[in-house]
Amino acid sequence: MRLLKLFVPVLLSIILIVLDTRFSYLDNFKKFTLTLLSPIYVIVDLPSQVINWVNDKGADNEILIGENDYLKSQLIELKARLQTYNNLALENQKISELLDSSYKIPNHDVLLARVKSISQSRLSNKIVIDKGLNDEVALSQLVVASNGVVGQVIQVTPLFSTVRLISDPTQFMPVKNARNGIRGITKGMASNEKGMIVEYVPLDSDVKVGDLFLTSGIGNSYPSGYLAGRVTSIDDSVDASFLSITLQPSQNMNKLEMVLIIKGKND
Amino acid sequence: MTNSNHFFLLVKISIIAFITGAISLPFSLELASPFWLLPFFSYWVIYSNGKNIFASAFILGILLDIIEGGTLGQNAVALVLSSAFILNVKKSFFVSNLTTQQVYIFLGSIIYLIIFLLVQQLTQGLNFEWLILLSPFTSAILWPLIRYLLAKLKQ
Repeated sequence: MRLLKLFVPVLLSIILIVLDTRFSYLDNFKKFTLTLLSPIYVIVDLPSQVINWVNDKGADNEILIGENDYLKSQLIELKARLQTYNNLALENQKISELLDSSYKIPNHDVLLARVKSISQSRLSNKIVIDKGLNDEVALSQLVVASNGVVGQVIQVTPLFSTVRLISDPTQFMPVKNARNGIRGITKGMASNEKGMIVEYVPLDSDVKVGDLFLTSGIGNSYPSGYLAGRVTSIDDSVDASFLSITLQPSQNMNKLEMVLIIKGKND
Repeated sequence: MTNSNHFFLLVKISIIAFITGAISLPFSLELASPFWLLPFFSYWVIYSNGKNIFASAFILGILLDIIEGGTLGQNAVALVLSSAFILNVKKSFFVSNLTTQQVYIFLGSIIYLIIFLLVQQLTQGLNFEWLILLSPFTSAILWPLIRYLLAKLKQ
């Protein structure tokens, strides 16, 4: 009898593992249960909210004025840079029209979100952000930060969403070399320190250490042109069919506080 | 202790385990940290005469899988089988000293870890990190503290 009591949950677990890995029948059940369990994240986030609140209340007036001045100067600098960008965009548009090209520089809607929790599970890299269905966050949306791509939204509840980082071993992302457009697919290598590898780049391709890889937008799942990482090493051993390229993510995942959710997909 | 008391103790223990597990840690610490639900649930198995242990382990494992966003059933099967081991040594737990209890928790955690990694390998491919092998040790080391805190909670 005791063996049967043990056997039934084990069998059910195995059935669930197979169902969850191969099919998506359980997605609604997972979403509903996660919504019910979301107060756990509110509780976990409470101490940092309190610390933020105390810091905000206790911040010295002089520090705030200094910070305000710094942010103003940053804003002016960024506006100046944006002018150059606008010129480039205009020039690109003219050339595109001359060449009868269909490519347009995308103008995506973005949503600012705060990171609530990092790396919930061992052997997988995820973060939880404080925006969800109520803010029109949807599955598969790209998440970026100031220095590059962070990951992709994989779970959404009304109050928060889970983002799988690009350094996660199960996260694949189509990318291209910013220098010459050579395409590949990134795959995470578990820890942020180890970075990512770029797969399916032919052996004779022109890739150098220091090259930048951007999202390519192939497959229409991601917007194109966002910085993914920089090449740190290339292994071109002749017994392999493809180059083994290692990328260092351009965004340091350990220092994430705020992220941007890109609402549009590739145009 | 009545059945409803056993149930409420399990609910309290589970909530604490889920919250502890959801707290953000640096990557290496996260890997080496205990599978929190196992020592917490082991306490309930040992010091409470609750029934339906395997069904409870299954449900809590499923909830953990959902919270972690992992493969549904991965933590469930690991928790069910490791709690079967804990249940097997339950009687000797009461007559054992703290060190022997830590050895039992260590063995239970090893069972959990092996099943967890096996399912990971079969479903997603294994990206092995050596630090994860420390988690049974940390579970065993932290057992006296967990036992003390949960005893206070039970009172």
